Amino acid sequence: MKPLVSILDGNTFVVSDNRGDIDPSPTFPTGLFSFDTRFLSKWELTVDGKRLSVLSVDDLQYFESQFFLVPGEPTHYVDAKLSVIRHRTIGGSFQEELTVLNHRDEAVELTVRLNVESDFADLFEIKDVKEKVGGTTVLVEADRLRLCYQRETFRREAIVTSTAPAQFDQGGVSFALRIGPHQQWQTRLRVETLVEGAGGRDIRLSIQRHHSRSPEELRQDLDAWLDRAPKLSSDSEPLTETYERSLIDLAALRYTPLVSGPPLPAAGLPWFMTMFGRDSLITCLQSLPFTPELAGPTLRYLALAQGVSLDDFREREPGKILHEVRYGESTAFEEQPHSPYYGSADSTPLFVILLDEYERWSGDRELVQTLEHEARAALHWIDRYADLMGNGYVWFERRNLRNGLENQCWKDSWDAISYSDGRLPAFPRATCELQGYAYDAKIRGARLARLCWQDLVYAEQLEREAADLKERFNRDFWVSDGEYYALALDTEGGQVDALSSNMGHLLWSGIVDDDRAAKVAEHLLGPRLFSGWGVRTLAEGEGRYNPIGYHVGTVWPFDNSLIAWGLRRYGFRHEAGQIAEAMIDAGRYFDGRLPEAFAGYDRALTKYPVQYPTACSPQAWSTGTPMLLIRTLLGLDPHGEHLVVDPALPEGMGRMELLDIPGRWGLIDAFGRGRAEHSRTPPHLTE
Amino acid sequence: MADPTAEFFARVEQRGPDLLPTKARGTLRFDLRRDGEVDHWFVAINRGNVLVSHELRDADCVVATDKALFDRCALGEAQVVAAYNRNDVTVQGNLPLLLMFRRAFPSPPGTRDPRERIRERFAGRGRERERERQR
Repeated sequence: MKPLVSILDGNTFVVSDNRGDIDPSPTFPTGLFSFDTRFLSKWELTVDGKRLSVLSVDDLQYFESQFFLVPGEPTHYVDAKLSVIRHRTIGGSFQEELTVLNHRDEAVELTVRLNVESDFADLFEIKDVKEKVGGTTVLVEADRLRLCYQRETFRREAIVTSTAPAQFDQGGVSFALRIGPHQQWQTRLRVETLVEGAGGRDIRLSIQRHHSRSPEELRQDLDAWLDRAPKLSSDSEPLTETYERSLIDLAALRYTPLVSGPPLPAAGLPWFMTMFGRDSLITCLQSLPFTPELAGPTLRYLALAQGVSLDDFREREPGKILHEVRYGESTAFEEQPHSPYYGSADSTPLFVILLDEYERWSGDRELVQTLEHEARAALHWIDRYADLMGNGYVWFERRNLRNGLENQCWKDSWDAISYSDGRLPAFPRATCELQGYAYDAKIRGARLARLCWQDLVYAEQLEREAADLKERFNRDFWVSDGEYYALALDTEGGQVDALSSNMGHLLWSGIVDDDRAAKVAEHLLGPRLFSGWGVRTLAEGEGRYNPIGYHVGTVWPFDNSLIAWGLRRYGFRHEAGQIAEAMIDAGRYFDGRLPEAFAGYDRALTKYPVQYPTACSPQAWSTGTPMLLIRTLLGLDPHGEHLVVDPALPEGMGRMELLDIPGRWGLIDAFGRGRAEHSRTPPHLTE
Repeated sequence: MADPTAEFFARVEQRGPDLLPTKARGTLRFDLRRDGEVDHWFVAINRGNVLVSHELRDADCVVATDKALFDRCALGEAQVVAAYNRNDVTVQGNLPLLLMFRRAFPSPPGTRDPRERIRERFAGRGRERERERQR
């Protein structure tokens, strides 16, 4: 397969091959997508009936790319007499500026053509393309080509126009050209995606049609975004590279959901360009010190969609925070549950955790007061609906047996939660990190109750509950033989005893007893879990371990960022640095863009990190990873109105400066130095 | 059932503060088509308190659909956001208000508390274990 090139603006994006062409592929979603619908499944350029070959591709911006092409096969184009430039941008609609240059000293006549089709596939159908229920019609008009899909009242439409004169037909658009010697010809093609009610006589209101932004506006927006973010300067080039890449990718992943308003982080390209409770919350937690503007709108949006009633199909419960929102056909016709779907057991405690962390950084008590009702409902959910077995833990078991998720924790593939010998436990299941999040949510909820809601009684109650949970957890989840925390509890109260990365999150949550933390750290950095490129999701030697299994052996950057943060919390500065260094090293092999996951092969075996085959990239919480690592290395933590800086950089990382860190203190700078390369630095400055 | 829609609005008026966020504020009008006529339901929300009338007044958010579909939403059989996504419901004005108001719609018929189901499933097992222990 030819390498893919993507550009995006919110949840509108184009994925094409490196010639700029779109050919339908069942394995990977190429096409023009918007609001979870594929609006172009074919977009194929020919000159005199022949496909083109690529000379080079420029990824100019996340919303802009340029392809330099010549006619013919790669072996023949050396003395091409013709070249073609496709310059495309996306900003609400998709635009392609097509330039054909004649290098001869005589005029040429040629036919330039774009074959255009749309299958209007729902993103959920791409892997398993089905016969569409509705009908597609192609309307050829004098100045445009309209591809329309209709199923009852559900309508989607792609409209293709051209600035230069063109002949539109059922299969695309042609240009019969005569280009003078050393002259060029140009047109601008535009594809508009209408989500609803367009064209027909009975136009209904189409407020879903999102605001179009010009490339110029997008450019200004990106510049302003980068300008607002803290400036990093560091001796470590890979660190600077990955930080800058992350800032841009996070800008790219912002999207505005149906309710207009400030943008929120979507989870990842191409499968997850939508709101995921868990991914968005964790991304906001990672990026708070850098791009704090994402957290408030994310919290407000999730609060607006919080469940108040039960719904089995959508796995909704009172107080629960959503898992995933979709706008496609299968959701609209209630074949898929994502309107919204609530099948995750961690988004609800994470909501409270982010609310507290947001207040610690921003000092925005008003939002904490505004969301008091929702935060209390979330805390209440932990004790009521999450406690399926009635024993004080957070459990999950799906109620939607048709297409609900079996594992409603971040490791949500079917085989992710197993005993050491590979058996899968019965449902419900209580994974360990969920208990950590619940503990943290209670501790943080108590702080908010005391500080912002003036409810001392509730604060004390939450603290008692948290202490009790911590005590029980350390009794029930601790595997004494191996000296680590079990991955989960089963319904018999037995330990699902696989050794996994999940216990790294426990350090972040603070639920680990102090005298056990060293053992946990030892396991995380030990040879079974630590590959050299990071902490594996599942330890080598476990029954289901597979270095290229999605959640059973791969290394996930976001997982590692939380683990590093947790290690730092318990004082394991060196170990946190080791993980940070491994991640930053790995980033070098992806031009600074950490993918969703990479293989868990030992670093000694593969000299570079092997990307997981269908990993999403960019993915929001991988994008947030370098940010959280920088926070961890510099030891940034708000204390009242101040930001504490307590750097602990790995040896050899050299100097690091982060300027203009925004927060309730205004803007603050932080400095750190790694030891080895600066031996003159007194040790106390680096500890 | 006589009129699910009328019962729905009566319940929302009574239970508004329980169903809606305490800080909720705004007006919605539901224009429900049936037999060539349009019924208007004007809903004024102030700090979670709800007043319902049949006035044809300007509202922050105007929602139009068929009465038959709204009946199904009122019974929990259909979902207003999905219906909006397939263009069976049109919205003019402040969409977030409708997203807030969806809290007022009931659970699908026959929905049970998930904990009950699990308690029932494990109750049998608990009794078995108890008997084993006594033996």
